[in-house]
Amino acid sequence: MDTVQHPSATWEAVSNGIVFYRRQQLYTLPGKLPNIADYLIAGCKNGGPIALMRDTSKLVALGRGGPAFSKSQIQVYSPAGEGLLLFSWDQGRIVRFGWTFDERLVVLNEEGVYRLYDLQGDYQQFSLGNEAAELGIIDARIHENGLVALTGSLTLLEVKDWEGGRPLALANPGISEPPHSHVEVLLSVDATILTVDNLESADQRVARGPFLHVSPSPNGKFLALLTFSGLLWVVSSDFQRELVVLDTATVGAEGPVNQVEWCGNDAVLVTWNDLASLILPSRDNLAGETLRYLYFGATFVVTEADGARVIGQDVCDFIQKVPASSVSIFRPGSTSSSAILFAAWESFVQRSPKADENIRSIRSDLAAAVNECIDAAGHEWDPHWQRKLLSAAKFGWGFLDLYNPTDFIAMGQALKVLNAVRFYEIGIPLTYSEYQYVSPAHLINRLTSRNLHLLAIRVSSFLSLKPDVVLKHWASVKIARSKSSAVDGEDDEVCRLIVDKFEKLGGGEVSYADIARRAWEVGRTGLATKLLDHETRASDQVPLLLTMKEDKLALVKAVDSGDTDLVYHVLLHLHKRLPLGSFFKLIEDGGDQLAPASKLLQVYAREQNREMLRDFYYSDDRRVESATLALDEAAQMTDPHAVMTAVNAAEKFFSEDKDRPFEAKMMNESVRLLALQQQYEKDSDGKVKFFGQSVSETIRTCISNDMSKKADRVKSEFKVPDKRFWYLKLHALTAMRNFDALDTFARSRRSPIGYEAFVRHLVEAGHLKQAALYVVRCDGPKRVGLYVLCEDWRAAGRECKERGDKKGMEQLRKSCPNALIARELDQLIASMK
Amino acid sequence: MAAASASASDAQTSYETERDNEPRLGVELLKDTARKALIDTLNAVNGAKTLVLDPTLAGPLGLVTEVALLKHHGVDKMFWLEPGPLTSTTTNVVYLCRPLIKYVKIIADQVKAHIRESQKHRYTLFLVPRISTLVSRILEEEGILGDITISSYNLQFIPIADDVISLENDTAFKELWVDGDETVIYNSALALNSLQKVYGRFPRILGKGDYASRLATLLTKSLPDQPSPLSDPSIPSAPFDSLIIMDRTVDMITPLLTQLTYEGLIDEFIGLKNSHVELPVSLLTLPAAPNPSNPNATPSGSASITPLINEKTKKHHLSTATDPLLTELRDLNFSSVGKRLSRVAHRLDEDYKARLQAKTVAQIRDFVGKLGGLQGEHQALRLHTGLSEMLSLKTRAELFNKSLEVQQNLLASYEVSAQINAIEDMIAQGASMQTIVRLLCLASITSGGIKAKSLDGVKRELLQAYGYNYLPLLLSLAAPPLAILLPNPLPISAAPAVAGNKYPFVTLRKSLRLLIDDNPEALEEVENDISYTYSGYAPISIRLVQCVAQKSGVISNPAEKSSADDGDGKGKGSSARKLHAHPIVGWKGFEDVLGTIPGKTFDIVQKVPASANSTASSVASLMRPREQTTTTAVFFLGGCTYTEIAALRWVSRQNKGRKFLIVTTGIVSGNSLVDSIASTGKNLSTTKDVNTY
Repeated sequence: MDTVQHPSATWEAVSNGIVFYRRQQLYTLPGKLPNIADYLIAGCKNGGPIALMRDTSKLVALGRGGPAFSKSQIQVYSPAGEGLLLFSWDQGRIVRFGWTFDERLVVLNEEGVYRLYDLQGDYQQFSLGNEAAELGIIDARIHENGLVALTGSLTLLEVKDWEGGRPLALANPGISEPPHSHVEVLLSVDATILTVDNLESADQRVARGPFLHVSPSPNGKFLALLTFSGLLWVVSSDFQRELVVLDTATVGAEGPVNQVEWCGNDAVLVTWNDLASLILPSRDNLAGETLRYLYFGATFVVTEADGARVIGQDVCDFIQKVPASSVSIFRPGSTSSSAILFAAWESFVQRSPKADENIRSIRSDLAAAVNECIDAAGHEWDPHWQRKLLSAAKFGWGFLDLYNPTDFIAMGQALKVLNAVRFYEIGIPLTYSEYQYVSPAHLINRLTSRNLHLLAIRVSSFLSLKPDVVLKHWASVKIARSKSSAVDGEDDEVCRLIVDKFEKLGGGEVSYADIARRAWEVGRTGLATKLLDHETRASDQVPLLLTMKEDKLALVKAVDSGDTDLVYHVLLHLHKRLPLGSFFKLIEDGGDQLAPASKLLQVYAREQNREMLRDFYYSDDRRVESATLALDEAAQMTDPHAVMTAVNAAEKFFSEDKDRPFEAKMMNESVRLLALQQQYEKDSDGKVKFFGQSVSETIRTCISNDMSKKADRVKSEFKVPDKRFWYLKLHALTAMRNFDALDTFARSRRSPIGYEAFVRHLVEAGHLKQAALYVVRCDGPKRVGLYVLCEDWRAAGRECKERGDKKGMEQLRKSCPNALIARELDQLIASMK
Repeated sequence: MAAASASASDAQTSYETERDNEPRLGVELLKDTARKALIDTLNAVNGAKTLVLDPTLAGPLGLVTEVALLKHHGVDKMFWLEPGPLTSTTTNVVYLCRPLIKYVKIIADQVKAHIRESQKHRYTLFLVPRISTLVSRILEEEGILGDITISSYNLQFIPIADDVISLENDTAFKELWVDGDETVIYNSALALNSLQKVYGRFPRILGKGDYASRLATLLTKSLPDQPSPLSDPSIPSAPFDSLIIMDRTVDMITPLLTQLTYEGLIDEFIGLKNSHVELPVSLLTLPAAPNPSNPNATPSGSASITPLINEKTKKHHLSTATDPLLTELRDLNFSSVGKRLSRVAHRLDEDYKARLQAKTVAQIRDFVGKLGGLQGEHQALRLHTGLSEMLSLKTRAELFNKSLEVQQNLLASYEVSAQINAIEDMIAQGASMQTIVRLLCLASITSGGIKAKSLDGVKRELLQAYGYNYLPLLLSLAAPPLAILLPNPLPISAAPAVAGNKYPFVTLRKSLRLLIDDNPEALEEVENDISYTYSGYAPISIRLVQCVAQKSGVISNPAEKSSADDGDGKGKGSSARKLHAHPIVGWKGFEDVLGTIPGKTFDIVQKVPASANSTASSVASLMRPREQTTTTAVFFLGGCTYTEIAALRWVSRQNKGRKFLIVTTGIVSGNSLVDSIASTGKNLSTTKDVNTY
């Protein structure tokens, strides 16, 4: 225990011992990096890697660097000095390079082309546009979420994301010579600074320039500027408040300043060869206070949100303001409640009774003390102290009645993860605050992009995050790495591996479609198809199949999914892309499997594209459907001639099908009827409308308009059965109340429908008197009932008497409606005796 | 609104006390969800808006909401989505329609007209129930895709009674079996999936029919996630024990027959659309002004009565929520409706007479308190007496009785060729086209096809009488997969699928006990069997449900035993005597019968996903007493008739411990089926009910 250095051993006090700064050694890297003085370096925030490129403006002793110097090469190292990536550049002079938020290296050349390299060396290439290519790019600044480039004509271009978005021109700064330095859109021109956004360019009227270095603080509130004369000037970013004005010559370093970078938001780190000097504002001295850190040789500083990483020739350090919770616990002589809690815990471990005494003394602040211990644990680098602080916290909350341990658990988990990734082989020295800021998901992405899938999946399952991301990345790397499908078994093998892993780890919820797309992109069509088979969501599967031009498969899958909208999606897509013939062939060859698709196509085409439907039916010899389509059109037409043409066409289609003689015959009748109706309309000078009526309706219309000859003609021409004709005439004449004609008609011959129908229909129409006239002609036994129906009671009575039907008479007597009739019936009954 | 829902719950409780106190699934929840979704949808468009509504959606929406609610949420004016120019005074124009091509074209025309006249509007198109690629493609072809924001309004099941929920899709049958458009199946699967999210999973899915099987497969496969109406599914009071999916073609006979229950007959004669019926105004107006001192008086019913269309008729919402009498009447065979009405009249009369006995002030106050309810019942009685008079007039018509006679003969396979002649006579006498087509199809199914020669003859008669434009209808009826109007023997060229799929009606008649002796006295006394719905014929679809859920009912009348000593009739034996429903054990015992019916038979046990929650519930199921009431959902793919609903309710009453939830794509009748098929290709003229909303 004693061998472990106390946390405060690395502290250095400033501001009269209120604030402390500490230099934490993260890694030692003896001999792992080349001489960084000879290189241009870009560092990635949040414990990310650094990229090195040979600085051509510097002399290098031959033979030391090896062959790497002969061409343009970029090397990427982790903060622990592990080589991550090495690639050569062949695309013209590099203007700038830098890192994106998600750890991709941006390399911009003078032609305005920029590439985004991931840590595997795969890249996406974008361009700043033709104009930029012509004018050339003379300088650029790359930040996490975009870049600003200065073109040859001294205009500014901004790219706002890393998706290849179109560059946005910023307002023309109107400068005549290249600026001395620019940060984002702050240009240092001559003695002043220009701020530029896409609308305007404003001169900040600062007179101290020109400036060599301009560096904004991580939160953007302050600027650190260094003039040619070596004057460090720290101001608020609106240039209103001066914090430090210091002549750097007084620090006592030799040579030019290498970097001016911020260390957190509170201090500025100025580096020379062999020295890094931390300058922080002080309340009583405009020159600020200075802390000196000695290094051997050149260093490189990466600003972090809560400190700065200094990479020297053989160490990687982290300089940071000691967090308040740590100060409160570990500051020598601290009497804060957390410090006492910590002391109490130590006493407890040593079985000293002082523990109880200490706890008692801070009873009221115990909860806060516990929280502070937890917080401090997060800021400690050494697991030894993390453990101690957490134990102290746990010890403390044992004395609390109620305590929600969520924070404690979260901190424990976070630390476990952080310690794992800080391990030198992984080399991500992420601080706790940064971890909170970037989110665990982001950390997992960083791990996967380093191909550290095992660690990533363990971390994600430890934090109970969904494993999809890791699995997908793993699978795409697997695909990219596996040999291309020269051997048949290879695809199956890879597919099986991936499916196994997905099912085991992903709980069957990982989408295969993305992986398949990836496989297809690297030219592994066979593998892509196999993977897609495992995709259960057709809506993900089908679009890719379409891109892969697996037309039939796409259609089959869409049909299988039951989602008709998806089927339409495929159909419409294919209809656009394929020649009509092959489109039809594809559907027709599908047989039963694709029948639903074929049906849907017909539904669509019937409404939207009849021409296509006609072709479709024709190409498949579907006579009946063709005919139906023609009839369908006929039903929508109004022009008589067109209707007849359409019906004719239908007849022709039917007649071409040997199984459809009946339909053909019917259509033939239909055309004849239409012709006849036209004729009749002409005969009646257009007063009577016939066209489009059925045979029966035509007859009815004829009769209603006193054209019985014409009705007879229709009857004979269309072989209308007597029964139907008689009913029609009966109904029509009744409706006209033409009872004379009805009588003549009834007498014209013996009725094929009998006369009961006459009686009943007339009764239903309310013509009781007329109805009664026909009862005589009906069958004897029914007459009584029919007379009753006509409410002709007397006649009914007479009929009964004639037939000698006593029972019927009794019945009649019982049901008769009034006394008058009853009396008459009684008389009849009497007379019957 | 508050008044309406309050009275709804009142009616529901009284209804339940009358029937039984067993718990059932609260389907009102679905209505609330749908209403809320509609409001959210409308509110998604800011400011005053002009709503352009798909006329076929008006009915379903009317069951969910009222016009007033729409006005509350910024709807300034409403128009029907129909061809012609649209004049809108608001910037926002909101279209709400099903994703049909014809609608999209109308929208495109209107938008383009506005552009030509350089009117500026913001267009939003809400598609029901979901967004469609087809629609965006057509809008793209019309060149206005960029001008319209497309979104969706996910209207799924709508409760139309407390045990019936429906998608209210009128054309489902035709789309499936004539067009082969399977969209309905997919939408049903999505809707059933939402149902599972609300009320818990179906542990078992059984069913019959090819499309039914397709639906079951979709249900068991992973469906895309959709926003579920409820976040946490609490265990409902009567959880599902199974889902039985019936595909309409499994039993085509039932809808072809004339429905003989009260509600069924109203549908046959007058037409019930989205639970609304058009009635003469005289039937609906109150005889006298209601007593103003009564807050409980009926006018809560007027909330659901939609505004006047023309002088003569008025739409009336037939709902048990506002009409206490309907619960008693709707499922009765029409022959016993008169008797029941007179009994109610007598009771009402006695209740009114109670006033004469009221002597003390307290008694009078009691009476006055009851008066509102009495007047409500009085009004309902008036309505139903008038309505049944209208119906009985029609039942006396000669053609109607002839049609019934033909139906009975065909079902008994009595002198089939004579029936065909009778049908021909009916054509001559001017029967309606729908009636003729129904009878012909019935003849074809029951006798395995009509003799080719007489079929051609009767078809010719039909075309001559009603028009040659019905030829496509006849072709559709004969074409597979429907194939319900076929010649016998089949032409050699016929598809083998058709030949192999002959409907085994004669065997089924015996094995499923379809025809019951029609004894009029017995019928009046006891509703003996589900066959009461067709006066002696049991609907096959419900017999098949019985094969799963009430096996004894298929073999003999379960009600007979109890009815013998239960003079009360109505099968309303005290629940103590009711047997507990047997558990769902699949098709067991009836596999052979099902094997003879064309179409796939399936019985899938759904795996319940292993999660902490489900282990808890499975423990709960172990703890659960056997007496736990469960709900069997019966889904009719392609629609069901009112008689089938009545029959299922009857089945439900015979046992305790099992409730049925009737789930359907829509309510159909033989006429609506024939009409939907006949309109193939013709522009569905929706103008008829355009002004009624």
